[in-house]
Amino acid sequence: MAAAEARIDVRRAAPGRLLLIAAALLFLGLFLVLPLLAVFVQALAKGVSAYVAAISDPMAWAAVKLTLTVAAIAVPFNLVFGVAAAWAIAKFEFRGKNTLITLIDLPFAVSPVIAGLIFILLFGSHGWFGGYLKAHHIRVVFAVPGIVLATIFVTFPFIARELIPVMQAQGKDDEESALSLGATGWQTFWRVTLPNIRWGLMYGVLLCNARAMGEFGAVSVVSGHVRGLTNTMPLHVEILYNEYNYTAAFAVASLLALLALLTLVGKSFLEWRQPELKHAARLAHDRTRREKT
Amino acid sequence: MSIALRGIAKQFGEFAAVKDIDLDVPTGALIALLGPSGCGKTTLLRIIAGLETPDEGQVLFDGRDATLWPIRDRNVGFVFQHYALFRHMSVFENVAFGLKVKPRRERPSSAEMRRKVQSLLELVQLGWAGDRYPAQLSGGQRQRVALARALAVDPDVLLLDEPFGALDSQVRHELRRWLRRLHDELHFTSIFVTHDQQEAIEVADTIVVLNRGRIEQSGVPGEVYDLPTSAFVHRFLGQVNELPVHLRDGRAYLGPIDISPAADVRTGDANNIALIRPHEIEIGPEGMGWPATVVAVRVIGPIVRLEVCAQGLPTNEPLEAEISRERYEGERFSVGQTVGLRFRRWQVYPASGAAA
Repeated sequence: MAAAEARIDVRRAAPGRLLLIAAALLFLGLFLVLPLLAVFVQALAKGVSAYVAAISDPMAWAAVKLTLTVAAIAVPFNLVFGVAAAWAIAKFEFRGKNTLITLIDLPFAVSPVIAGLIFILLFGSHGWFGGYLKAHHIRVVFAVPGIVLATIFVTFPFIARELIPVMQAQGKDDEESALSLGATGWQTFWRVTLPNIRWGLMYGVLLCNARAMGEFGAVSVVSGHVRGLTNTMPLHVEILYNEYNYTAAFAVASLLALLALLTLVGKSFLEWRQPELKHAARLAHDRTRREKT
Repeated sequence: MSIALRGIAKQFGEFAAVKDIDLDVPTGALIALLGPSGCGKTTLLRIIAGLETPDEGQVLFDGRDATLWPIRDRNVGFVFQHYALFRHMSVFENVAFGLKVKPRRERPSSAEMRRKVQSLLELVQLGWAGDRYPAQLSGGQRQRVALARALAVDPDVLLLDEPFGALDSQVRHELRRWLRRLHDELHFTSIFVTHDQQEAIEVADTIVVLNRGRIEQSGVPGEVYDLPTSAFVHRFLGQVNELPVHLRDGRAYLGPIDISPAADVRTGDANNIALIRPHEIEIGPEGMGWPATVVAVRVIGPIVRLEVCAQGLPTNEPLEAEISRERYEGERFSVGQTVGLRFRRWQVYPASGAAA
């Protein structure tokens, strides 16, 4: 019903409205679609064979693998942390809650370069724990562990930030009624809380994953740029670009863009497969909004 | 199961939600906790459920100290104002939830579970709705599902927090009567919270009136309504008219009407007020009692409400009187007419405590 009305409105739209829609589309095209297209056009500029050669280069492959590995560690870690933090903040009252919220936001406030420098300061050869690590032959900085740490730090807030408002809006009634029906805390979490937040959680994971794969600044500081060993995809793209190897640079960049597009397609697929969930999520949203007014 | 509260107190920051509450709920009773918002009624219910821990005092279940029992060991059914149905589960799964989360050895077989859930759904007249999702049901239906879900675990006590507060008045009325019948059939102990005095009077065996975290009065509905022990309870349980009591020569007057000997009137205290319910005001022909002018007439189904300005009282505070429709049909009081007032009953309170 509402959709039908909206369609009629657009057809009879006043010139002002058409102008606004056109401006929005133009803006989107100019700043989102065009650059994305440019990446693929540039990547394929010297033909498909050059593209295939560029992305099958062992160094490029190593970068892809490292990026996926880092994301595969950082995202689950932040998933567990984000759910735990949001649960604590939304459902309980405790001293120091505001401090915790501020701390969660810290990685957003701090420049990624500084985030990287923090780890150099802590684990670098002249850092606080540098001597100990060297004595035990553990490499953190300029190695994979440093990259993982920096990525976790930078992507820390995404899932918690996505979940806190969702959980706060839902309140405690559902959990309390599960407990009163005899469920244990664990059963309540898996059967009631988690299904209630699954959409928020998924968006959080998507954002976190996108950032984990795309992070440049912090990772650049701690990686040391060892080709084939500590270069993630964004770093590899930069190196290739600086070497005037445009085709290869854009080929790897297109892979990175493709990964991002894949996550979006995955999200749409889930929404399409489970329309009743989308419906339920929207209803829940409406309900909380109604109760607030 | 009988429930007893002994010296319960609970503070939220600076705010004392309940103070020094003693209450006995015998097995099988249906009790209403009644009071304005912020009076502590919900906090008290949540303390009984185990959703809050009291700062002081004890909660006794059948005489055993249950103060620190976790909620899942108390075997209470809790019904929330906003239903709190699990929206990702069908109605059937909602009702079955309490059975499914039982430890394996206590869990009924799936056939038994299906039979039990179906019979509960039929009990709440929703036998057809098992496959629906909560979002597809009306408010009244959702609350019935919530009740069926709470009953599925065979609770000893049913606790309801403003269960009908979010429903429209027609549905509310039906559900009240239905809850009362259900209680009479199943004989569990029930405590429900409401701010609606009519709901409390209609449904409960015993009303407990709370104000500012304390129990003001408790008793059977008729008794609390007819013999309120404080001006607060008198006001809260229905419409009232308030009149100042004048003392002259050792006698007490409401306007020109001598109400002596009024036992409650302390002759030394000049600040007494009388509270009179609309149906306790008698309207008669001019010349009877206290002269007054009719300023409004409103026919409300079986009763007729008259607003009258009594002589000598500020005209912006007319008194409300109720007479039967039959009487009104006979006498046809009209706006502007002069009538006489008499009071069938009144109750006098010191004005100082009356502000509460």
